[in-house]
Order: sequence, then structure tokens, then C-alpha cells
Amino acid sequence: MPASVPESIRADSIPAQRGVTNRLSFRCELAEARVATRILRAFLAEQGLDETEQFQCELCLAEACNNAVQYATPAGAGLPVTAEVICHPARVELRVTDHTAGFSLPADCNPIEPDRENGRGLFIIQSMMNEVNYYRGRDENTLVMRKTRTSQQHRPADDAATATLEDARRQLESCQQTISGMARELCFRSESLAAIFRCCTELGRTSDLEGFGYRLLHDLLHLTAADWFVMRLMPAGSSRLEVFAVSAPELRSEPLILGPGVEPDLAVELTAARRRRDVEFDARQARPGLEPLRATGPEANGLVQPLLFGDKLLGTLAIGRREGGTPFSVLQAEMIRTFSEFMAMQVVNARHLEEQVHARLVAHELDIAHRIQRALLPRSLPQLAGFRLAASWESARQVGGDFYDAIPLGDHSMLLVVADVMGKGVPAAMFATIMRSLLRAMAGRSHHPARLLRRLNEVLYQELSTVGMFITAQLVYVDLQRRHLVAASAGHCPVLLISGGNVRTLRVTGTPLGILPRTTYRQHSATFGSPGGLLLYTDGLTEALNPAGEMFSHDRLAQWLAARAESPMSADALRDELAAEMCRFRGATPLRDDQAFMVLAEDAAVAHDRGGTDVFAAPDPRSPNLAGSPLS
Amino acid sequence: MKIEHDGNNLRVSDIAELNAINASSFRDEVRAAMPTMPSTIEIDLSQTRFVDSSGLGALFALYKAASNGNDSVTLRLLNPRPPIQQLFELTQLHRLFEIARR
Repeated sequence: MPASVPESIRADSIPAQRGVTNRLSFRCELAEARVATRILRAFLAEQGLDETEQFQCELCLAEACNNAVQYATPAGAGLPVTAEVICHPARVELRVTDHTAGFSLPADCNPIEPDRENGRGLFIIQSMMNEVNYYRGRDENTLVMRKTRTSQQHRPADDAATATLEDARRQLESCQQTISGMARELCFRSESLAAIFRCCTELGRTSDLEGFGYRLLHDLLHLTAADWFVMRLMPAGSSRLEVFAVSAPELRSEPLILGPGVEPDLAVELTAARRRRDVEFDARQARPGLEPLRATGPEANGLVQPLLFGDKLLGTLAIGRREGGTPFSVLQAEMIRTFSEFMAMQVVNARHLEEQVHARLVAHELDIAHRIQRALLPRSLPQLAGFRLAASWESARQVGGDFYDAIPLGDHSMLLVVADVMGKGVPAAMFATIMRSLLRAMAGRSHHPARLLRRLNEVLYQELSTVGMFITAQLVYVDLQRRHLVAASAGHCPVLLISGGNVRTLRVTGTPLGILPRTTYRQHSATFGSPGGLLLYTDGLTEALNPAGEMFSHDRLAQWLAARAESPMSADALRDELAAEMCRFRGATPLRDDQAFMVLAEDAAVAHDRGGTDVFAAPDPRSPNLAGSPLS
Repeated sequence: MKIEHDGNNLRVSDIAELNAINASSFRDEVRAAMPTMPSTIEIDLSQTRFVDSSGLGALFALYKAASNGNDSVTLRLLNPRPPIQQLFELTQLHRLFEIARR
């Protein structure tokens, strides 16, 4: 297929996009400044600006050039002032480079009092231009003024173009200067761009901020003919500027604290950090013992640039020369600023990356905890003659601390456990695991849940109390043949007992595990008639809220059970109904806490078709409220 | 620059520019020519192509000199080019001088 040249890159359309430039350098004198601004006005007239635009540009150039002449430093008065006009179809840019000590641009241009005799220059510039920026370098500054053009068609030069022959000769001379200057600048800028690209490519490969920083800063040293740098970073949430990278090991120093100190007593890096703008450094004027940058040498000088991302201070970059050589030019200072902005961006990127990794680690931890917890729940519940066990577990979070277990102790007896480990994540899951193993190891043939709780507390106290966690647990020993039970509780919810069609609340008090080093527990005994059963639960059930903000409550739970206790019901059916009831009650309200419960019920209906199996499936904890198949 | 007297009236014309170079000499010459109690001072800007902040400062200095202890003086700027008139308006000088076209 033949290639065609897109319209947008046709050669003739390019110059118009780039703009037309005229740059003049002139001696630091008012008369010279006046000639230069007249020439530039004539140039703008040729570019088709209307009379008002011409006048406004000439006026702003004149104000800037006059300032440059009138406020030049003694050394700067010997250097030429440069005025430049760049004319685009839609806007004009005016640049004046001065050798003054610099001035501050007011943030806004309030109308000035009519009776003020001086100081109108900046006000006029800010009023007539759409955008004004002042770039401060070490010994020269550049005022950049931009104005949107109102009329954009080309018009021939009018009578305002009054350039004389002498003017034209000067213009020719300065054009030659301009071209060689531009060539130098172009070379410099392309080198710096290449350095940035080189570092970017490497960063993409390694994501190593430190290595990247060193390479970028060494490139910057080369480009600006500097010989030292000190880069500090402020860790997120801290006010300490810590050394991150240095050009030589002896430049390492203690962190600087961004505190309430007073400025003359501050290190230059702190001054730059606090002012959020670049500050010059001169070792000859630095206070001994106060200025870490004095380590760069007694004659050193340089620039400290804050590393900013928006308004956020990330650190500082100090860069300079050891021997009191020439200070940085405007172009070099601008380059340092560009590199600093770029470096700040990379610091922010690296921090984002770190946060992402951290978030991934947290998610991974939660996933592990979730698996541990799932593994904790019994895959199948033991089933003893005439009774069935069913359980439900629904987790509010990715990881909760609820668990249940049923440990067979003999042909007719077992220990039922429902517990809630306070806390979340891996630690909670770990404690639940320990608790479960301990219970299984200690249960033995103990018919005394209170003794079991005491021993559990003694074993777990040390570990639980050091991490500020505790466990509530309900232990019920059941002898199904004798229709007898013994219940003990470590600060857990009461048990609901079904006996002969009635429901009773068995409330036993006790301290949660992990609160007191030594404690004893009470236990209550009870017998139950037929049909009989038990409901053990965690407070996630009774503290569940409905959309009206009401709690489900123990009373409601007891009433709900009483309504179903009159006629025999299978444990599975009770479990499913209660889970459905909890769901109905909650409505659209999100689950606040884990909900776990275990139902033991005398099951005449199922007793006769038990078949050959002696175990019943516990619910699959991954799909709450469903009577799933055993986990494989 | 041309300065004409007519009794207590003063008229200044033929001003090419009021800029950083000539503003102070313009101010000093006009002030020197000013009657003790002037009644009208007219500055004709028909020929004036350029005024900068120094020029504005000189005009303001003349206003102060003329109105010092003299409430009845009229200060008038004649026929400024539109961009220059806009500059006067921007810097509020039109509140001190009457701007007239004839």
C-alpha cells in the first residue's frame, strides 16, 4: 500500500506552528533599550498585530527592559540585556533577560492608586499580558510574558515600523548573536532531554529509585558543569529531610528537621524547603556548625531546589561547584529546576508503587487468614444417636474471629464449642487455630467445661495479653444418653436450651480468656426433656441490625426458637430457617459482625433413615447458610 | 516639544514619546514654565506615539504641581491615541486629567 503524507506534517504548515522569533541583545542603557523595543514593535507590526497589541507589547517590553537597565547589579551592568519576541498565530511571547538581583511578581494585579508616581511597570505588564512568569537564575533572570492575539490575520507593516538604517544594522548584528546562542541552547537542551529519556528507560526496567536518582543527578552534574549534589527526601508523614543521594560520601550528614526555627539560623536546604522555592548557597557566607553544605568546600557555591509535587514537599536537591567558579546561568538553573520536577515525579511514582505492594501484602495476609479460618471449621460434625448437629457461619469481613467445633468424647457425649476471637487478620486466625488445637488436645474425657476454660486461660493468657487480644467462648458438655449437659462460659453469649417443647436460657458468667492471668469459671448443669436441643451462637446474631436500626436481640432469638420448639424439627431445617430469618431481618443492612451458630436437635424424623453414615455434612464455610457437601 | 503660554493657560504639544529617557526632562521643563496659579493646562498628545510608566509618572508629577493649593485648575490631555487612552484608563490617570478630543 503506498504511504501518504498526513496533512498535519506537510512542510509548509510547520513554521506557522513554531512561531517566528526575533531576539535582540543590547548594552545596559535606557537609550539602547528604547531602540530595541522600537525594533521589536516594528517586527510585531510585520507579523500583523493591530495597533493596540503593538503598543501593549512595546510598552511591556519597554517596562521590562527599563527595569533590567535601571536595576542591573554592578556586575550585571557590564552585560547585555536580551529581549526576545516569539510570534505565534494565536499568541505572542515576550522575553527579557536581566542581570538584576531579581524581583518578586505580585500574586495578583490590584489596581494601583492613581496618585502613585512610580511602580506602575509590573502592574501594567500584569494587566496587559495574559500570563507572566519570572524565572530567577543565579546571576540572571528571565521575565516571560504571554499575550493572546485578538486579530490573527496577517497585515502588512503600517507606519509604526520606523526602524532606521542604524536600527537595521543593530538588528542584523544581534541576529547573528541570536543564532549562535540558539545553537548552544539547542545543543544543551537536547543533551538534557537525552539524559532524562535515558534514565526513564532504565527506571522502567528496574523501578530502583536510588539507582535512578544517582544516574539522573550525575547527568545533571555533567550538564550544568557542577561537581557536587546532595539530595534529601522527607519520608511520608515525617518532617525529617534525610540524605537520599550524595555525589561524595563526605557530604552525607544527619537528617535536617523541618521545625519552627528562625530563618537566619537555618541550613540553606531547610530555607529552600520552607520557602518552597530555590535558594542560593555560598559556603563563604555559611555559618559554621549550622550548614551541612559547608562540607562541599570553603569556596563552594550552588543552588538548593525544593522537590515539590504540587504543594507537597518531598525533599530538596542541592547542587553546585566546589571552587567559587561562575554561578549557574539561567538556562542551567532552569535545567536544575526541570530535573528536580522530574525527580519529584519519580519519587511520587516510587511511593505509589510501594503503597501498591503494601496493599497487595495486606490482601495476601487477609487471604491467608481467611484460609486458616476456613480450615478451622470442622469439615463434618459428629453425629450421635438420635440427635443431629448443624452449623452456620457467615463472615462480615474477609476474616472474622468466630469459630465453632464439636469434639466427640464418647459414644454418647461430646463437647460443643462456639468462640469469638476479638481482633482480625492473621493474628486472630492464629489464636483461633491455637485455641482449637488446645481444646482438642485438652478435651480428653473431661466432663468439666469450667476446668477446661481455666486451663485454656492459663495457657493462652501470656500470648493473648501481650497483643491485647482476648477470646470469648462457650463450652457445653452434652451427654445425650442421660439427656444431661454442663455449660461454662468465658464471657460469651448464653445458650438456648430446648426441653420438652420449651426454650430456656442458660446464662453462665465468666471472664473472657486472656483478661486475667488466673481465673476460675463456674458451670451450670441441666437436663432436657424430649424433644430436646441446644442453640449456641455468637453475638453477631443477637447484635445484628435491621434497616430501622433495631437489634435482633437475645429475646427475639429465644422467641423465634420457642415458636419452633413445640414440634420436632431437624437440626438442618432449624439451621436453614434461622439463617433465612437472619437474612430477612437484616434486609439491605450490611453485615456488621460475623454470625456463627450451632444447633443440636433431637431428630426423630431423620433417625430412622440414617443409613450407614455416621457423620453429617457441616456447611461449607465459603457458601454461608447452605448445607453443602463436605469439603474435599 | 512646544510650550505655549496664554495668560494663566499653558499648552504643551509636539511630544513624540513620554518614556524613561525623556520623562524627567519633560516634567522639569513643563513645571518650570507653569504660571504660579494656572487656570488650564493642556497637553496635546496627538503626535505622541508612546507613553510608558515613566511618562505616566511625569504626567502625575505635573498634576501634583499644578493642583497644589489650586482647586480651580483644569488639566487636560488632548487627543491621545486609543491604546494610550486605554493605558490612562488602566492606570486611573483619567480621574486626574480630563481627556478631550478636538
